[in-house]
Amino acid sequence: MPDDQRVTLKVGFAEQLRDIEVQLPAGEPKPWDARSELKVVGKPHPRVEAPLKVSGAAKYTHDIVPPNALWAAVLRSPHPCAVVESIDVAPAQSQPGVSAVLALVKPGERVIFAGQDIAAVAAKTPEQAEAALRAIAVGYKTEPFVVDTAAAMQDGAPLVHRGKVTERSTEGDEPGAGGSAGQRGNVRTSPSMKKGDAKKGLRMAKVSHEATYTTQVHTHSALETHSIVVQWDGPKQATVWCSTQGIFSVRDEFAEVFELKPADVHVHTDFLGGGFGAKFGASAPGSRMGFIAGELARKAGAPVRLLLDRKEEHLCTGNRPDSRQHVKIGASADGKLTAIHVVAHGSAGIGTGAGVGRNAFGIYSRCPNVLVESHDVFTHAGPGTAMRAPGHPQGAFALELAIDELAKKLKIDPLDLRLSHDEHPVRRHQFELGRKQFGWDAGRKQAAALRDKQARVRRGFGVAASIWGDFGRGKAVVATVSVLRDGSVEVKNGLQDIGGGITTVVAQVVAEVLQRPVEAVRVRLGDSELGPSVGSGGSVTTASVTPAVRAAAEGVKTQLTALAAKQLGRKPEEVTWSEGQARAGSKSIAWAELCKKIEGEAVVATGTRPETYGAYPVKFMGGNSYQIAGVQFAEVRVDTWTGVVGVERVLAVHDCGKVMNPLTARSQVQGGVILGTSYALTEQRVMDRVRGVMLNPNLETYKIAGARDVPREIDVVFTPVDTGANNTGAIGIGEPSTIPTAAAIACAVHDALGVAVRDLPLTPDRVLAALGAVPTRGGG
Amino acid sequence: MSDRAGITRRGLFRGIGTAGLLAGCKPSERPPTTTDDPGGAAGPGAGEAALGPGPAPLAFTLNGEAKTVEVAPHVTLLAALREQLRVTGTKVVCDRGACGACTVLIDGVARNSCMTLAHDVAGAAVTTVEGLASGGKLSVLQQAFIRHDALQCGFCTSGMLMSCQGLLERSRGQKLAREDVEAAIAGNLCRCGTYPNVVAAVLDAAGGSA
Repeated sequence: MPDDQRVTLKVGFAEQLRDIEVQLPAGEPKPWDARSELKVVGKPHPRVEAPLKVSGAAKYTHDIVPPNALWAAVLRSPHPCAVVESIDVAPAQSQPGVSAVLALVKPGERVIFAGQDIAAVAAKTPEQAEAALRAIAVGYKTEPFVVDTAAAMQDGAPLVHRGKVTERSTEGDEPGAGGSAGQRGNVRTSPSMKKGDAKKGLRMAKVSHEATYTTQVHTHSALETHSIVVQWDGPKQATVWCSTQGIFSVRDEFAEVFELKPADVHVHTDFLGGGFGAKFGASAPGSRMGFIAGELARKAGAPVRLLLDRKEEHLCTGNRPDSRQHVKIGASADGKLTAIHVVAHGSAGIGTGAGVGRNAFGIYSRCPNVLVESHDVFTHAGPGTAMRAPGHPQGAFALELAIDELAKKLKIDPLDLRLSHDEHPVRRHQFELGRKQFGWDAGRKQAAALRDKQARVRRGFGVAASIWGDFGRGKAVVATVSVLRDGSVEVKNGLQDIGGGITTVVAQVVAEVLQRPVEAVRVRLGDSELGPSVGSGGSVTTASVTPAVRAAAEGVKTQLTALAAKQLGRKPEEVTWSEGQARAGSKSIAWAELCKKIEGEAVVATGTRPETYGAYPVKFMGGNSYQIAGVQFAEVRVDTWTGVVGVERVLAVHDCGKVMNPLTARSQVQGGVILGTSYALTEQRVMDRVRGVMLNPNLETYKIAGARDVPREIDVVFTPVDTGANNTGAIGIGEPSTIPTAAAIACAVHDALGVAVRDLPLTPDRVLAALGAVPTRGGG
Repeated sequence: MSDRAGITRRGLFRGIGTAGLLAGCKPSERPPTTTDDPGGAAGPGAGEAALGPGPAPLAFTLNGEAKTVEVAPHVTLLAALREQLRVTGTKVVCDRGACGACTVLIDGVARNSCMTLAHDVAGAAVTTVEGLASGGKLSVLQQAFIRHDALQCGFCTSGMLMSCQGLLERSRGQKLAREDVEAAIAGNLCRCGTYPNVVAAVLDAAGGSA
């Protein structure tokens, strides 16, 4: 192995390219950079797994039925807060079809949200399992509770936690977020983000704006509910199928719960039906699913399937916390921001993690004084957890709308105000590009004209920014690439296919290196025995996995080059590859012929990814990784008589490093925009303050945007950047694509109406209230 | 379209009639008859036999193949397909008619299989996503889904495909507009955000402009 190597990389974006020197670890392939001419990577390619998905052949955890498998069902607390006085599960044991029964609480224990685990059964059919639950007798002594965030902050509110609060963090969380700086009542203070002196900056301001913005609880609502199937293969060995974003997080938690060696837990996730941050570990955030399924299977001596229903999915598997953000923002008379001060309170129910992201702190970085103070407010509701860019859509909504309200007072175009405070060169480039492509200036004039005319149907134009980090993980993935004697190529890794397109991208990377058709590369994922990998969360997958895959493919290629040299009677360094043929001088050998000369079954190499070694041109705060840039523009149509908001167009301009597959990357951004639109307009968990339960735990009154509710037009533009981060140049896009959508829509509504609607979702009643047409309801 | 395809869970109860439903109850358990009983008071119609409560034989055609299974009367078509016949391409998402993930074709009409009792399809032809390809070749619609990247995680895809197939079958020969496709999939929820690509795929498959 050679020693560390210094290489020159051409990095940058658009016309702004430059050479940088990078130190690479020994054995690391030279990164693909702006000079690389790639034939397969970066070209649109249909999903390689798509034939399985369009024919019903793709197997999800819901579809797994081991022989003699039993159905599990869980009895859940009907009360938001109660002490269990008695519990008798024995009557369930004698119900028809029942094989095992499990109490999950003891007398004297307190349950603190409606939906919490109480008991579970395993039976032959789902009907028998449900019926058996009704035979379980539980005595509760109900206690006072609070499910409303503002009410929970009051002195004397019922206390949710009486002991120390433990934080549950997963691979879905943003690195560096979390921690506590003290607790009082139900309010737990998070470490604040501080720059300069915001209070002083506000005093210096000539023009200022102050308002409270609220956002709702948003549930992940992945279409495949949390599900786990457990089969014991021996007293200390188990096979687990799980609908998870992190195969190894399932393996490790299951092993820990049952005191097994991780290697004796074999986890499969061929496919998962959606994951937006809540599917990590063997448990759901609010239900000990791994323990329940494992323990029932152990007691019953048969495999157990635990598939949550839609109601359980809403109640106990996580959600995006709500927020109440009090924003103060000030500027000099000529429009220089002097301070941003955000005081945020949000409730992740009984859990933590209701912060509002890095938007206010990090995006408009020319503002010298910033203070963001976040607090978790505990309520008697199911725990929140990471959801696609945790904290950021909330934070973006309050910050961006406040910026627009300030811009209005300053009589400055809100896009100009942003441009004069954002130092990220890529984001500035995106703002400028979007301004032209979206028709910003003409659109704003049109909106103003309709406003002036007091037209019934208005148009509005808004823009908002996204901030996220390249959190691609080093030393976490080991990929294996094999070339078999029959010429076939196989790549293996214990990664899950979440639906973003990673399976195809992995095939493309191998195809690029080995100069084989993408279709000739067999990608095997979804199995913990296929080598260590990362969880699909935090936009890390492509950035973490593809460099390891490339390293493995290059390792195989080195071996094949040596083999070709031997066959051609030349030195390895004389061998070149083109069109899948090895050449040296005038001689060449075709792929199939060369592979026949492989000694043994196959040429095999593994590859890993070193730590991130480049972050050009802007680092994400507090780290050594690139700061991912994105902006979105929205055009809305608002009917001022009915209050209905429709999104006409969204232009999403994003950077995800080197785009690996424009077809699937575009779909992923489109999906982020649609999720954000749904969050902006219709979705909200509704809690009954009197009974302390969720009123809409279903998909008919919890409103997810359908085909007719999404923007009429979504344009996706990538501004590729070579950052020098890793050997493929990939960075993530999952989170950035949904961060600014709701904010841009809210800003567009402000433009349409001339007044801001400061509460999400932007429902007709709120639009009409903002116009003064109807009275304001109680706050969000 | 046959009348059979229009039968819903509620419609079945109406068809069997209150007397039929009550036949399985002990006299003391019978609820009082009300004057606003939406089902009317008719007993089983001519040729209709009361089923249950145990499994009863059901014969229908699934993806072109004759099937006979023993199914209890309360079992939905969705549960019968997935749990008894182990045909798992059709997915369970809400299990109450709100999301469209379980859509199948019954005599060519797109229906929620979670809202259809298995015995409702006696004698009918049921097509699931597994029945779209023929002879190992994906259909034009399936290929268009792949080309237009109309799927991500794939969990809504079966239901989307069946709603769209239903549209293609009922509109054969007609030119489709974007609104037609959006109306056809209005009951199909997707959480990954594939709708625009689904619309493009269907218009392409229908020979319209994508």
